[in-house]
Amino acid sequence: MTQILIIPAFNEADRIATVLERVAAADTGCQVVVIDDGSADDTGVIARRRGATVLRHPFNLGYGAALQTGYKYALENGADLVVQMDADGQHNPEAIRSLMAAIQNDRFDLVVGSRFLEMTDYQMGLLRGLGRRLFSGLARLAGLQISDPTSGFQALNRRVLEVYAGDFFPHDYPDVDVLVAAYRSGLRVGEIPVQMSEGTRASMLHGGFRSIYYVYKMTLSLWSTPTRVARKGTDSEDPTP
Amino acid sequence: MNPSTLDIAELREVFLAATEPNAARALALTASLVLVVVVLWLVRRRGLREEYTPIWMGVALALVVVSIRLDWLHVVARIIGAWTLSSVIFFLGEVFLVAVCLNYAVRLSQAGVQIKNLAQEVALLRTRMDSLDDG
Repeated sequence: MTQILIIPAFNEADRIATVLERVAAADTGCQVVVIDDGSADDTGVIARRRGATVLRHPFNLGYGAALQTGYKYALENGADLVVQMDADGQHNPEAIRSLMAAIQNDRFDLVVGSRFLEMTDYQMGLLRGLGRRLFSGLARLAGLQISDPTSGFQALNRRVLEVYAGDFFPHDYPDVDVLVAAYRSGLRVGEIPVQMSEGTRASMLHGGFRSIYYVYKMTLSLWSTPTRVARKGTDSEDPTP
Repeated sequence: MNPSTLDIAELREVFLAATEPNAARALALTASLVLVVVVLWLVRRRGLREEYTPIWMGVALALVVVSIRLDWLHVVARIIGAWTLSSVIFFLGEVFLVAVCLNYAVRLSQAGVQIKNLAQEVALLRTRMDSLDDG
């Protein structure tokens, strides 16, 4: 079974070495692929020096596009299982094996590492807490029970990769909208508890105009993305009688 | 009609019945001609692709038609409740500009997806080339 760990990174030269060291120490058995999303610093150089395969975007495309480049690489290289984690040290590589196990034993097609499934010491601010509850509630309306809709710590199998490689996948923030899209595509989406520390990627919900835009965009995307995925599935059907 | 006893409806009719000066027609015709010339010049200089010209040629044609048949604008004015023909022209202009902006936003979204796919392809190919060089 080919297993790939994808780590999207943008200007993470200060942290990527530590993250890759911790990944190596966790001994996951995955090929490590860092997607350097057009960093202005030496993120890609450092990652390559640490033994990772580096996919470098010619310019910054956004977190979602970086993840999708990793999915496309995994598809091209025959991966059966992909784990994705952030490059800012928020995700604990020790949990990668648990995520992989949930896919390997065929419990789920896509599993999310959740900070809130069990009691953890993770602290979430008021605004982000409200955002999490809002998106959990919206996902529940769509039929998906998810306690941590903004977690980027996930594992997925090839069926999910084939869906996520499509043009519907957002460039910027693929969060609860793509989870709902996967669920509505008939994929089994689940969660397992993980420990996380404070990161930087979730800063969309830290306040200011970006937070307002994030809530607006995600709400609109929750409606549009599953529709686009469903339409793509219908369009791709063989029209011959 | 005695202006001191006009009600609102009659006043509106007075506005709409005002004769349009020939200078306005001449200006509209000139503007349409200039627009056609600018569009053709841009196409020749490769500043504008042929596929984007129909909309602007259409605008030029509409200007010609409107300058010749101003009475058609009266019909629109009555439908939308405008008082003057200039209001009608501004209204139609705004509707047109909103439609054009929406059209370009759609094209920009499509181009964004294409650019993203190309950049991803560049990243994947570059990595494949690197691995061939290393191997």
